[in-house]
Amino acid sequence: MIDTPDIDYAALSPVIALVTGIVVVLLVGLIGPRGRRGLSSALTLLTLGTTAGLMIWQLGEPDTDLVAGALRSDGLSLTIGLIVVAAAAFVIPLQLRDPAAEEAGFGETHTLLLGSVLGMVLLAEAQNLISLFVALELLSIPLYVLCGSHRSRTQSLESGLKYLIVGSIGSATLLYGSAFIYGGSGGATDFTAIAEGIGTDLADDPLVLIGIAFVAVGLAFKVSIAPFHQWTPDVYQGAPTPITAFMAVATKAAAFAVFARFFITALGPSADQWQPALAALAAITIIVGNVGALGQDSLKRMLGYSGVAQAGYMLTGLLVGSIAGIDALVFYLAAYTLMNLAAFAVIAIRERETPLGDDITAVQGLGRDRPELAWPLTISMLALAGLPGTAGFMGKLFLIEAAVAAEYTWLGVFIVVGSMISLAYYLRVIAAIWMRPAPRLAPAIAGAAPEAEAGAAEPPSRTGRAGRALDGTPSGGRCWLVLGAIIVTSAATIVFGIVPSPLIDFSIHAGEAIISMLGV
Amino acid sequence: MDTTWYLVLSALLFATGAGGVLIRRSPLVILLCLELMLNSANLALLAFGRNLGNADAQIFAMVVMVVAACEVVVGLGLIVAMYRRRIPLDVDENRGLRG
Repeated sequence: MIDTPDIDYAALSPVIALVTGIVVVLLVGLIGPRGRRGLSSALTLLTLGTTAGLMIWQLGEPDTDLVAGALRSDGLSLTIGLIVVAAAAFVIPLQLRDPAAEEAGFGETHTLLLGSVLGMVLLAEAQNLISLFVALELLSIPLYVLCGSHRSRTQSLESGLKYLIVGSIGSATLLYGSAFIYGGSGGATDFTAIAEGIGTDLADDPLVLIGIAFVAVGLAFKVSIAPFHQWTPDVYQGAPTPITAFMAVATKAAAFAVFARFFITALGPSADQWQPALAALAAITIIVGNVGALGQDSLKRMLGYSGVAQAGYMLTGLLVGSIAGIDALVFYLAAYTLMNLAAFAVIAIRERETPLGDDITAVQGLGRDRPELAWPLTISMLALAGLPGTAGFMGKLFLIEAAVAAEYTWLGVFIVVGSMISLAYYLRVIAAIWMRPAPRLAPAIAGAAPEAEAGAAEPPSRTGRAGRALDGTPSGGRCWLVLGAIIVTSAATIVFGIVPSPLIDFSIHAGEAIISMLGV
Repeated sequence: MDTTWYLVLSALLFATGAGGVLIRRSPLVILLCLELMLNSANLALLAFGRNLGNADAQIFAMVVMVVAACEVVVGLGLIVAMYRRRIPLDVDENRGLRG
C-alpha cells in the first residue's frame, strides 16, 4: 500500500476552480474564431464567480495549512482573494471594447488575466519562501505581457518592457534576500520555522539582517513604496487602461497580504526592531506620492502617484502589526478597490470617446454632458481624498486609530497631512469635470494631446483603423454593463462610508487570521 | 573550501548584475544582467544548502531556473515586438513615458 498524502480539496477548491477556468478559457480562445469576445468573457466571469463562491464558502471554515504547509487558507488569504477576484470581474466588461484586448485576442488576454489572479490568490496564501517567490512571479509575468499587449501603441510596449525590467529587479532582490534568510535561519523556508530559526534579536546575525532588508525592498517594489516607486506612474500611464485598473488594486492587495504574513509570522518576535524602518518608509511614501501627483496632467499618471501615497497609508496599518492594524489594512484595500476601479473605468471610457487620451482635458465639461460618468468620478476622487461620508474616510479613520493605538501617532499625523496635500490634485479633477466647458475637439487641440500626436505619427495599420472605428462609436450597445459596474462601485463607496459595518465584518476575518500568527 | 567564498562570489555577481541593469542601454544586455542577479541568488542558496546539509535549497534553485526562463521568454517577446515596430532598442531613447 502506498501512503498517499492527505489533500484538503475543500480548502484548495478556489485554486482548482481558477486553474480549470484558465485551461478552458485558453482552449476556447484557441479553437473559436478570434472575435469571440462574448463567450470568452462569459467563461472568465463564470470562473471568477465560481472562485468567489468557493472562497465565501471557505470563509466560514477553520483555517488550514495546504500543500505540506506551503500555503495557508485563512481569513487573510480569503478576504484578499475576494478583493482580487472582484477587481478582475470588474475589468472583464471594461475590456469588451478595449482596443488592446481586440488586438491581442480575447482568449489570450483573459487567460493571462486569470493567470495573474491565480498568482495573487496563491501569494495571499503563501507561507513559505518558495511558494512566495513562485506566486509572485506567477502574478507578475502575465502582467508584463498584458501591459505590452497593445502592440500597435509604442507606449504600451514601452511600459511592458519597463515593468518587466523593474519587476524583475524586485524579484531578484527578493530572491537574494530569501537566500540569506534561508542561510541565517539554519535552512528554514517556512515562515514559522524562520521565526524559530532567527529568534528575537535580528542584530545577532548579519545574514538575517541583509536577508530581511532585501526581502523588504523586493516587496516594496511590488507595492510601489517610495523610494522604489519610480516605475509606477510610467507603467500605469503606458499600459492599457483596464489592465492599469486591475494592476493598481489587485497587485497591491495581494502583495500587502504576503507582506503582512511574512513580517508578522516570520518576524513577529522581533517586531520592535523592524517597525521603525517600515515607519520611515511609510512616511517617505506618503509625502513622495502626494507631492509627485500634484503637477500631473495625465489622469492615469496622477492615479499612479496617488496609488503610491495610498500604499504609504496602508503600510501604516501593516507595520503596527496588531489585529486592529490588519483589520484597517484590509478595510482600506477593499475601499481602495471600489474607488479606484470606478475612476479608471471612467478614464477608459473617455479614452475611447475622445482623442485626448487620459489627459485631464478629456473629462472637462463631463458634468454637463455625461452626468452618469461625472458623478462616479467625482465620488471616487472625493473618496480617495478621504472626505467624510465615503469609504475612503472610514478606511483612513481606522488606519489612524490603529497607528495611534500602537503609539505611532506621528504616522497618523502624516496620513492627515498627506490627505490635505492630496486634496489639491483630486479637487483639480473635480473642477475640470464641473467648472470647465467641454473641449472643442478641433484638430489643433487634438494635436496638442500626446496620445493623438503619437497616433498621427504612426503609419495607419489595419488594427489601428479598427480601433479608431471602435473609438468613434458613441457609447451604447454593451456599454451599459460597464456603466452598471461603475455605478455599483460608486454607490458602494458611499454606502460603506455611511454604514461601514458590512465591510468591517468582512475585514475582521483577516484580523482573526493573524491572532494565530501573533500567538507564536 | 569555506562557504564564505561562495557568498563573496555571489555578492559580486549580484552587484555586477545590478550595476549592469542600471548602466547598460540595450534591453538585451539588461535581460542578461537580470539573469545574473537571479543566478547569484541561486549560488548563495546552493552554498547555504550545502553548508547546512539541507536539500530545500536545491529545490528552490530549480524552481528559480524555471521562473527565470519564463521571464526571459516574455522579455525577448517584448523586444521582438518593439523591433518589429522599428522602436529603437535603447532604453535611453524610449522616453515616451515621463513627467
